[in-house]
Amino acid sequence: MSGPAILAHRPSAGPARPYHFPGFRRTRLDNGLTVIAADVPSRPLMAAALLLPGGAGHEPARLAGVSLLAARALSEGTRRRDAVAFIEASERLGASLGASCDWEMLSLSVTVPRGRLEPALELLGEMLREPAFPAQEVDRLREQRLNELLQAAAQPGRRAERAFLARIYDAASPFARPLGGDEETVPRLDRAELVARHEAHLDPAQATLILAGDMEGLDPVAIAEARFGAWRAAAAVPGAALAPVPAEPATGARGTVVVDRPASPQSEVRIGHVGLRRRIPDYHATIVLTTMLGGLFNSRLQRLLREEKGYTYHVGASFDFRRSPGPFAVRTAVQSEVTAPAVAEALGVLRRLRSDPPTPAELSDAREFLIGVFPLRFESPEQVAGAIAGLVAQDLPDDELDRYRPSVAAVTASDVVAAAGHVHPDEAAVVLVGDAERVVPDLETAGLGPVQVVPAA
Amino acid sequence: MSVKTPEDGTIRAMVAPDPTHPRIGFTERRLANGLRVIVAPDHLVPVVAINLWYDVGSKHEAPGRTGFAHLFEHFMFQGSAHVAKAEHMSIVQGSGGVCNATTWFDRTNYFETLPSNQLELGLWLEADRLATLLDALSQENLDNQREVVKNEKRQSYDNQPYGSFYEKLMAAVYPPGHPYHHTPIGSMADLDAASLADVTAFFRTYYAPDNAVLTIVGDVEEETAFAAVERWFGPIPASGASRRFVAPVTPAQIGTRLRETVPDAVPLVRIHFGWRTVPFGTSAFDALEVATQILAGGQGSRLYRHLVRERQIAQDVSLFSMPLVAGAALLAGWVTVRPEADPADVEAAFLAEMEQVTREPVTADELLRAHALIESSELSALGRVEEVADRLGMYATLFDRPELINEQLGRYLAVGADDVLAASAATFREDNLAVITYVPREGESAQADAA
Repeated sequence: MSGPAILAHRPSAGPARPYHFPGFRRTRLDNGLTVIAADVPSRPLMAAALLLPGGAGHEPARLAGVSLLAARALSEGTRRRDAVAFIEASERLGASLGASCDWEMLSLSVTVPRGRLEPALELLGEMLREPAFPAQEVDRLREQRLNELLQAAAQPGRRAERAFLARIYDAASPFARPLGGDEETVPRLDRAELVARHEAHLDPAQATLILAGDMEGLDPVAIAEARFGAWRAAAAVPGAALAPVPAEPATGARGTVVVDRPASPQSEVRIGHVGLRRRIPDYHATIVLTTMLGGLFNSRLQRLLREEKGYTYHVGASFDFRRSPGPFAVRTAVQSEVTAPAVAEALGVLRRLRSDPPTPAELSDAREFLIGVFPLRFESPEQVAGAIAGLVAQDLPDDELDRYRPSVAAVTASDVVAAAGHVHPDEAAVVLVGDAERVVPDLETAGLGPVQVVPAA
Repeated sequence: MSVKTPEDGTIRAMVAPDPTHPRIGFTERRLANGLRVIVAPDHLVPVVAINLWYDVGSKHEAPGRTGFAHLFEHFMFQGSAHVAKAEHMSIVQGSGGVCNATTWFDRTNYFETLPSNQLELGLWLEADRLATLLDALSQENLDNQREVVKNEKRQSYDNQPYGSFYEKLMAAVYPPGHPYHHTPIGSMADLDAASLADVTAFFRTYYAPDNAVLTIVGDVEEETAFAAVERWFGPIPASGASRRFVAPVTPAQIGTRLRETVPDAVPLVRIHFGWRTVPFGTSAFDALEVATQILAGGQGSRLYRHLVRERQIAQDVSLFSMPLVAGAALLAGWVTVRPEADPADVEAAFLAEMEQVTREPVTADELLRAHALIESSELSALGRVEEVADRLGMYATLFDRPELINEQLGRYLAVGADDVLAASAATFREDNLAVITYVPREGESAQADAA
């Protein structure tokens, strides 16, 4: 041992400083719009998000991708100004303004220096209530989306992800397809479909406005009232007529699939199955489990596949929690010649989850990690607004984020073992993108066959 | 404190700070062993960012020894006298923090963000690997990390469409033998040739308190932080090793137009461009950043508007600077060609926009929009403790001027149309361009099969 003597003494932690997620409160305007304001003192930027219900998970199957395309087209001009004029107006404010959608919601958002919040909200309101959806811009965005699909197919990780979701979900589930639709559905999307999609959700009583930032001297409710108070739904908004997210999507196929990509130096690997909804009683135990399994640098999967075997640069595992069950997946990329042993080892780690309870160190590392990094996610107004939007999307109570740290701290080893019941290695699909000629014989020898090969295009 | 003259000899514009911009308050001290320490309190969230910049990057690598700085970065996670193999990361994460390291042409940085009551732990971890790394170095670690790095290269470059552009661009814009000719990932053959003796020598030369800047930003009191640094780093001796790096004399332009066509597993043609530029830190480089914003910084930018929106010949456009300091830097860009468009036409249209900014001043409105977007982006970055720590370390290491953290935004806002014109004219020239075109390989047609 060398070095200064003091280094032999690992320091212990000082007293932890308390942390609370920024307090926020809800107000309802007369038109039914819910307004949530969160104070993030001392930050020079402010963030606003206007959430509308109904995301890609609520689309009719034949129009998959309509929500994403509508979101992208929202900033392409309004009844008052064309696309270029609208974008330039936003840029003059230094605003980052746009719309996006996830499986649950459509979200219009802006981040802007504090002094320019009100003109930025004016643009956001214009985009919300008076979008023009110019046919020419819609047509271009549709072509760009189709080219995106082409590009994604050439990217092994994205190709693996898509093949994996198509494998584990029944074709009737929206989760079987990319969030932005696929080659079959995107060509159907035109201006009329986008307009119909947007208008179907345009109801203040179903919408939420979130404002986050330094609230000193600001009255967020008055700001919201001035900008959105006069908004009324055009007519009865048929929100309930939307295709609901299936409560329990039927589980698709298992087995092993290799999407052939000849001469690949690595295989992209996905192992998993349909997972969990966000609102489950043992959510916190489950994230402690996946953190121990594949969320930490020193997770069980990383220790074995990266540090001991040198098969990969990184391996992770997680549940994607949605309103209805999203996927559970182990994700990695391994060098081609060790593909079969890497898959076998990963499945072995999953099988041992139920038999090998977390060691005290594993449990403590996973809990401390989740508790410690929690505040780091909320440094900026944009992050705070995003976290509150997540509560709205998942229909979680307002105190969910404040209860997060104590709930994680309370997770025990037996809670983790119980949560391991959510992982089903024997029902998992194994989906690979790689060089079939090199990897298939090894997979069969390793007992991972029969292997379905999707030929190279 | 000394103020370095910028490499191109220009005088920096002195910009009055905008009173509405928050200033980062920081204090700087130097330990007796040469370690430079910067502390900036920010109490919004109870976390602390610790960031160490070592003045060593891939530009310091000797011929035949490329990739060493990065391989070495991996060893720094393989244990030291009081930290077991791979334990560094698990101690940080198990204490509620995150950490990582990156290797770049001009430097290597190591950083962790921890709950603020774990400041001492973070400093202990960094001090232990600086003081005692060689205790834990073994052939087994060397072999294992070589494999991890090779997998990193396979995943990040070899197995990615267009993944080799970075290596090809640097090799095209800088001549063989130039320190920026090769990228930090280096050559796998060179890594195979690495011996324990090489690694040891590398550590002894570059990893020393007198070759580092330690920055602490977040929920700490200044005096507590300085005292903690003194406690853990004070006893580590200075190395006094000679590690003089002399930036080679590099002509301002490449001297010719280089062109390469690369068949690859790609569905769409993508044309990559690279220009040699003045170094980062000069006012002309700031002007190029503003030009970049005007040309491709968003949907209102010229390249996006003309190629993507109006002519609909491009799927996407991109332009970005690489902030390098050793005599020259780089501006790079690309355009992805839509399937029905003619690549030659798209290349010409892209370069026509680049040429336009060398001939006519940008408009006052373009400048205003670029300034507004840069301002928001800088304010956003300065609202995160990790980013503030990294930038303070950067300005101190590269320019010996950490106070640039409060000046850089003003420098961008002081760039005028004439500055953009002059910097563009000096850069976007016929004899200063590398063009690398990726084309679908024979028989390659990408269809998105869902299994």
